[in-house]
Amino acid sequence: MTQFLMFLVNGIAIGCGFALVGSGLVAVYRITGVVNFAQGMFAVVAALSATSFVALGIWHGVAELMAVLVGGFAGLATGVVAVGRRGTQPLTALLVTLAVGFLAYAIEVLVWGDQPRSLPGLDGRAALLGVPVQRQYLLVIAVTAVVFVLLWLFFARTYLGKALTACASNPYAARVVGIDVTRMAFIAFALGGVLGGVAGVLVAPLRPISFDSDVSLIVGGFAAAIFGGLTRPMMALAGGVLLGITEVMIRAYGDASYGTVGALVFLIAIMIWQSARRPTLHKEAV
Amino acid sequence: MSISARHGARQARRGPAEPHAAYARPRTGLPSPVLGGIAATALATLLLPLVLDRGGLALYIDIALSACVVVGISLLMGFAGQVSLGQAVFFAIGGYTAAVLVLNDVPPLVGLLAAPVAAGLVALLLGVPLLRLHGHHLAFATIAVHLIFLVVVQQSDTLGGNVGLMGIPGFSVGGIDLADHRSIAFVSWGVLAVVVLVSHNVITSRPGRALRALATSETAAESAGIPVGRYKLTVFALSAAFAGLAGSVWAYYVGFLSPGMFPVSMSITFVVMAAVGGMGSIWGALFGTTAVKLIVSYLGMLGTAGGMPDYAPAVLSYAVYGLLLILILLFLPHGVVPALRDRIVRRWSAPPRTPLDTAGRDPGKAGLPPANGRP
Repeated sequence: MTQFLMFLVNGIAIGCGFALVGSGLVAVYRITGVVNFAQGMFAVVAALSATSFVALGIWHGVAELMAVLVGGFAGLATGVVAVGRRGTQPLTALLVTLAVGFLAYAIEVLVWGDQPRSLPGLDGRAALLGVPVQRQYLLVIAVTAVVFVLLWLFFARTYLGKALTACASNPYAARVVGIDVTRMAFIAFALGGVLGGVAGVLVAPLRPISFDSDVSLIVGGFAAAIFGGLTRPMMALAGGVLLGITEVMIRAYGDASYGTVGALVFLIAIMIWQSARRPTLHKEAV
Repeated sequence: MSISARHGARQARRGPAEPHAAYARPRTGLPSPVLGGIAATALATLLLPLVLDRGGLALYIDIALSACVVVGISLLMGFAGQVSLGQAVFFAIGGYTAAVLVLNDVPPLVGLLAAPVAAGLVALLLGVPLLRLHGHHLAFATIAVHLIFLVVVQQSDTLGGNVGLMGIPGFSVGGIDLADHRSIAFVSWGVLAVVVLVSHNVITSRPGRALRALATSETAAESAGIPVGRYKLTVFALSAAFAGLAGSVWAYYVGFLSPGMFPVSMSITFVVMAAVGGMGSIWGALFGTTAVKLIVSYLGMLGTAGGMPDYAPAVLSYAVYGLLLILILLFLPHGVVPALRDRIVRRWSAPPRTPLDTAGRDPGKAGLPPANGRP
């Protein structure tokens, strides 16, 4: 039983990583209609920056915060390229973010080399209701909870958050009432970058990150985000946690090598189920 | 909604006065200069292996085989409006099919023929559930399929697992050995010729027109009586078969297959080549593949030159793929070849206008559509 609870906490922590990447996808998709393939790249850039900052002798905590900022800048730059030119269609923008990811590969390999790097996190274990749990897992879960509360407060309680939501629901009407939709799109991408960055610095101590880790991060994040139709952050959190638990349980009690396959099959099944419920006409209108 | 669907919508907005060159040109009777050009290109590329050195031949084979995959993607994305970011899977399936057969003492020619069949069948099976999805959903589903495929291969003992399959015999037909670089180059040319011919016939046939309608609007196509699901599935299987065919030749050429040779980024590079040349155009696919491969290989040579760090070639190739895709998508969204063709057709058709026609209009802009079709 103790072992099961350990796996459970482990799964929740991994799922929180997916959920954070997924929430960044949601933030960008809600406002711009673009599925941002570079979302995993923000996490990778932030994680790799954090390793460099720590190696430079900057304190833990400060180094991670700086790395999250780097992620935010990466997000902003991606946004400028992907939606800065007017009239870029969402699916074209998806391919543009894919291209930005490739360009980022070049920069990442140039700066950090092509070998995986890991970031020291919190070590040791804490006892939670008698269950020994790695403290890094607890940190991941706690930070994720705080981030999602802040995200909810931001969208529901601040003027900027309301403006972003307005752009999401009707860009034309938003422009009519004087909201600069393009600037909001940039803000959305920067927000996506920050969320991706948080995911990166939290996940980096759990597994080594190399320049091409972004594929697994983005696919996991997308699987989490698709849960809420790419528009609801809280559903992304639920989806991410469910995915994380599934993956860890398959690893623990099934075949370790098939851990990721469960999540992928799950992703495809969810999408097919969702598409079966929506008629074609509606999809073409979107 | 897909890229080409938007493309189609733009064409529609432009109206019947300015039909898109590709749609307006009569497909059956190609003008003789075009036919001459095609024949000259075919002959020149056929003679090229005779003069190339070993490095040149390797590049030639790489281009020809990648072009087979890219023509398939161009059909799938440009005509059927479906995105696939997992096309390297079918390339790999073709390679593994041929390799397993040949390692079990089946003649290589049978392996070559079985590879596209196997890849096509897998695509048919996968396509039934997957092609219900659209746009970014399908894009992620195909990436997911790619990742699942890699795990399955790593776990399979018959496919060599993580280590891979080694010692795949070279290609031969009826005891005639065709395993050297030059022969494989000719085989690749032949394979590509078959792929181009089949694609051309598909595009110009009745199903080809139906596919174009389907890419514009599935609902409209369906109400016009087009069996949308079946056609999409057929094109998906066809593009997979092309990739499988190329993969089998690749397996004979390299003699070694492992899951590490087929990363997700490989699928994406195929899409880059198709986008550079122009989706929905066979010549675009051929041009895009050749241009991208030549640029990457040239920069790769620069990268391996003296004084460069060992990661330089990787950095340069990633940068080229990224930059090319960004520039093309933002500034030539229809790809290089359709943009050029539009320009040439415009130049040919614009001058012989009657004075009445151009009266009252800016003579320089008479009858020209807005650049890139943007309003």
